[in-house]
Amino acid sequence: MPSGLSDAPATDTNHPWYPPIPGGYDEAHDPAGRLRSHWTPFFKALDELGPAELAERWRDAQHLIRENGVTYNVYGDPRGMARPWQLDPVPLLIAPAEAAHLERGLIQRARLLEQILADLYGPQRLLQNGLVPPELIFPNPGFLRPCHGVRLPGERFLHLYATNLGRGADGHFRVLGDRTQAPSGAGYALENRIVMTRTFPEAFQDCRVHRLALFFRTLRDTLRSLAPRNKDNPRIVLLTPGPYNETYFEHAYLARYLGYTLVEGGDLTVRDGRVFLKLLGGLQPVDVIFRRLDDDYCDPLELWPDSTIGVPGLMQAVRSGNVAVANALGTGVLETPALMTYLPRLCRELLGEELWLPSVSTWWCGDPDGLRYVVDHFDEIVLKPTFPAARMEPVFPSELTKDQRAALLEKVKARPHAFVAQERLQLSTAPVLTGNQPAPRKVVVRAYLAAHGDGFAIMPGGLTRVSSGPDALVVSMQRGGGSKDTWVLAAGPVSDFSLLPAAGRVELTRAGGDLPSRAADNLFWLGRYAERAEGTTRLLRGAAVRLAERSGLADLAELPGLLRALALLAEGHTPLGIPEDPGPAVVASVFDVARPGSLAGIVRDLRRVAGVVRDLISTDMWRVVNGLSDFPADPAATFGSDGPTPAEVLDRLNRTVIGLAAFGGLAVESMTRGEGWRFLDLGRKLERAMHTIALLKGTLVYAAPNEGPVLDAVLEVADSAMTYRRRYMGTLRAEAVLDLVVLDESNPRSLCAQLAALEDDVSHLPRPARLAGRGPDQRLALAALGAVRLAEAEKLAATFDNSRPDLRTLLDEVGTLLPALSDTITLQYLSHLTAARHLSGTT
Amino acid sequence: MTHYRITHTTTYTYGDPVSLCQNVAHLTPRSSPRQRVERTVMSVTPEPAVFEERLDYFGNPVTYFTVQEQHTELVVRVSHRMVVRPDTPMPTATPPWEEVRAQLRRDRSPAWLDAYQYAFDSRFAAAGKTPSDYAAASFTSGRPILDAALDLTRRIYMDFVYDAKATTLATPVAEVFETRRGVCQDFAHVELACLRSLGLAARYVSGYLSTLPPPGRPRLVGADATHAWISIFCGDAGWVDLDPTNNQVPADRHILLAWGRDYEDVSPLKGVILGGGRHEVKVSVDVAPVS
Repeated sequence: MPSGLSDAPATDTNHPWYPPIPGGYDEAHDPAGRLRSHWTPFFKALDELGPAELAERWRDAQHLIRENGVTYNVYGDPRGMARPWQLDPVPLLIAPAEAAHLERGLIQRARLLEQILADLYGPQRLLQNGLVPPELIFPNPGFLRPCHGVRLPGERFLHLYATNLGRGADGHFRVLGDRTQAPSGAGYALENRIVMTRTFPEAFQDCRVHRLALFFRTLRDTLRSLAPRNKDNPRIVLLTPGPYNETYFEHAYLARYLGYTLVEGGDLTVRDGRVFLKLLGGLQPVDVIFRRLDDDYCDPLELWPDSTIGVPGLMQAVRSGNVAVANALGTGVLETPALMTYLPRLCRELLGEELWLPSVSTWWCGDPDGLRYVVDHFDEIVLKPTFPAARMEPVFPSELTKDQRAALLEKVKARPHAFVAQERLQLSTAPVLTGNQPAPRKVVVRAYLAAHGDGFAIMPGGLTRVSSGPDALVVSMQRGGGSKDTWVLAAGPVSDFSLLPAAGRVELTRAGGDLPSRAADNLFWLGRYAERAEGTTRLLRGAAVRLAERSGLADLAELPGLLRALALLAEGHTPLGIPEDPGPAVVASVFDVARPGSLAGIVRDLRRVAGVVRDLISTDMWRVVNGLSDFPADPAATFGSDGPTPAEVLDRLNRTVIGLAAFGGLAVESMTRGEGWRFLDLGRKLERAMHTIALLKGTLVYAAPNEGPVLDAVLEVADSAMTYRRRYMGTLRAEAVLDLVVLDESNPRSLCAQLAALEDDVSHLPRPARLAGRGPDQRLALAALGAVRLAEAEKLAATFDNSRPDLRTLLDEVGTLLPALSDTITLQYLSHLTAARHLSGTT
Repeated sequence: MTHYRITHTTTYTYGDPVSLCQNVAHLTPRSSPRQRVERTVMSVTPEPAVFEERLDYFGNPVTYFTVQEQHTELVVRVSHRMVVRPDTPMPTATPPWEEVRAQLRRDRSPAWLDAYQYAFDSRFAAAGKTPSDYAAASFTSGRPILDAALDLTRRIYMDFVYDAKATTLATPVAEVFETRRGVCQDFAHVELACLRSLGLAARYVSGYLSTLPPPGRPRLVGADATHAWISIFCGDAGWVDLDPTNNQVPADRHILLAWGRDYEDVSPLKGVILGGGRHEVKVSVDVAPVS
């Protein structure tokens, strides 16, 4: 939480929070510095809380954001995929009259854009009669020729449409840009709202803020109405580019909120001209795709051939009317800012109305008049590419050196069609509390509309984005800006409808929904990494404790065994020798991500997979994984040049064991025993069995005259010491240890217990009813379980020539069956996850 | 009138079984003032589960089909019977190229608007400084557009070497300019890039070329080939085909399949498969004149 909050001046409504900005428009203060009237209830409510309570609550809110794992991935950010969402405690307030004005203007704009789309993908009269320059359409990468003439359900193109709004110094809102293909941010707006209402319920009540839930219900109803069949219970999926996308959090969040399956392109397949979801139990038809993929990525067969995240054949399925895609494919054609120049005329021609809400002044350089203006006013404009796909950042010519400026001007004159200029709006400011002092920051509001009946409905709210500094030229999340909740104030009472408890009557069901194969694969690996992390931590802790307590290898008969087991797990074979001082190697096995099998590396993988299945595990499980200790890449920076002390290493390991135990507990206690749980459990049990095998192969397979410390260590790492002591008191015998750790099925840590669980899990996997007898996965699981069940403790413990041959044989046998089982499961259930590829072309 | 019987077989052989393949084919010829399609048949083995025909954005017949049974070989065979006119009347006088360019930018009548779409960059044939400089020598000030284009065609024929090993299907024009080597679609892309750099409208044409056996030798079945050339919009004089690979104005030995902005719009057969391992493709074309 900003330290400044506690220093905030009393939010007395008579005192401005900061001096007025000359010539600028401030959302909360009038030019004289007085609070605007619609802001008074909010500041009053804040005042009543007092600075200390405010700071306290905001600390909780930040915590909530972190715990919910709200992230926005910034490309190239060192925090990468885990950059927490930036939310400011002061919302942007919009007065009722202004909201009505915006609503009218934006609904008109959405209707207009939809008519333009219908024409471009139909008769193209707008090109013939010169209302839209062909130069904005023919070379437009967003103009997708395969979409031309495709009949759409209800002739609707835009199901969720967004615009960026900015207010100029004159106090009027203008449209800065349109997002027509797959607008982002609606989910963040929702998350912001949830955090704000939990943090400031009093202010929220006092201000009479419109709820967002009705809007999302409209969106859900609209998407449902698109289904070409199964109208009563259509299957709707949210198609995401995947966890590396900047707004992946939002995709998972919206999918969960709206009740849709979150899918990637690889989860879908087209057969018989229809789209199917690949589930463990087979293929299930999909009726509606709510997509967050850009247009051209959606189908590598007919659209962008290099797309690896699309669904081959999707275009044809849409053309055949077998699936609906929202927004319609091809809608990105309108994202050229140059079109804004022509909207006033188009509005008159197509709707017979004046354009209600103006766009920011825009000049397309392909138009001779536009070019002339831009050349004459080069320092007053911001220059953008005509087509956003050109990936050129906006340029402010006035910020360039003389040479750069001249070179750019030449470029514009040489290829005028490629450039659009817009007026540099002095954006309005709003108060933020994220700095040391309350301060003004520029704001841009993203507003959302959903198709509703024949028209559109507006979200009474939106995502307000805040510039990173008071003088920043661009307001962008990628540029380090933050966000605000947007409160649209109601003139009268507000509906308190909520989507969170499902609306309408609910069919009682015990099925948890069907599991996509990719999700099963990820849960399997989540289980494996979680258990691998726990096993490795226990082994490392065993080694670290001993190193901390004693000085030399000579007193540590059991240490080589533990190190051998670690090496077996990490590299698959036992090392030739043990270093004189294993301390540095143990520390590296904890912290060094690059070291094979290191705990830091496993935890990183665990976090990554957990991020991918975030929509499938409980929030608590996600929190546990998120809360696991960090293993700094450079221990010296955290612990000083001597590295961590043994106590510090132990402390991290202890905390990690507890965190992972919590994860395991949640997996047992809070997940229904559906297919997802089966795969998670398969992963955990398989990994734990392999871990026990490695532990014994490193230790008890070798026999030594004085084995007490080794037996102790095995019991400790296998978490079975308590049970052993209760049964045998202080007597340490190899056969008793092996009985408990290998054979005793009632010990949840024993090898046999893992194999029994595996056999049970495998027998519950979906398989074709017509198949008689056991599947290959069942046979392998049963073979492993049988081998251990038939073994005898005395024989396993029998020594011959400093080793235990029977134990070794058993461990080798089971150690071969388990990887084969893993491969078979992959082949049987997950093999159709293979990626599609292109045939080589012909001439 | 020359009558042709054409068979065109594409065979994919896979190392591993393919469980699903989805394809888009531009293998059915379109009609034009120069040619009439009397009969055309496509057969796919194994039997496709979905087989849909329609016209694409450019008016070409296009076929979408999927094979959903496991297979290790895919055979797509088309046979056409066509009539091609022996001589295309060549426009005698064409306007200066600058006039055509200026009218393209301003005229919104159907023929001109349709032509204008081919004046813009496409993935495989985009304007640039190199093609622009290369074209300048032919497109001198005030020169009649067809006269200049014939000169450009001749120069590409002279300056570039036909070399089937030099390029892949997706060789960028810049690279072809660099090596000055390539095959018919490379030369077509080069000429398109040149003409588009000047602001002129030109399209890519995919089709067949009937080869003549040496005198006294029998015609070899399967020795014919698919071919590519271009077509340039000459204003009111209409579209004129030009073959930079052979320095010819296509007549009755060039048989049209489809046209588009470049190879990507009209590639004869493209597809996406699941499985397959290593795969090989064989194409055999036979263009037989019949009396």
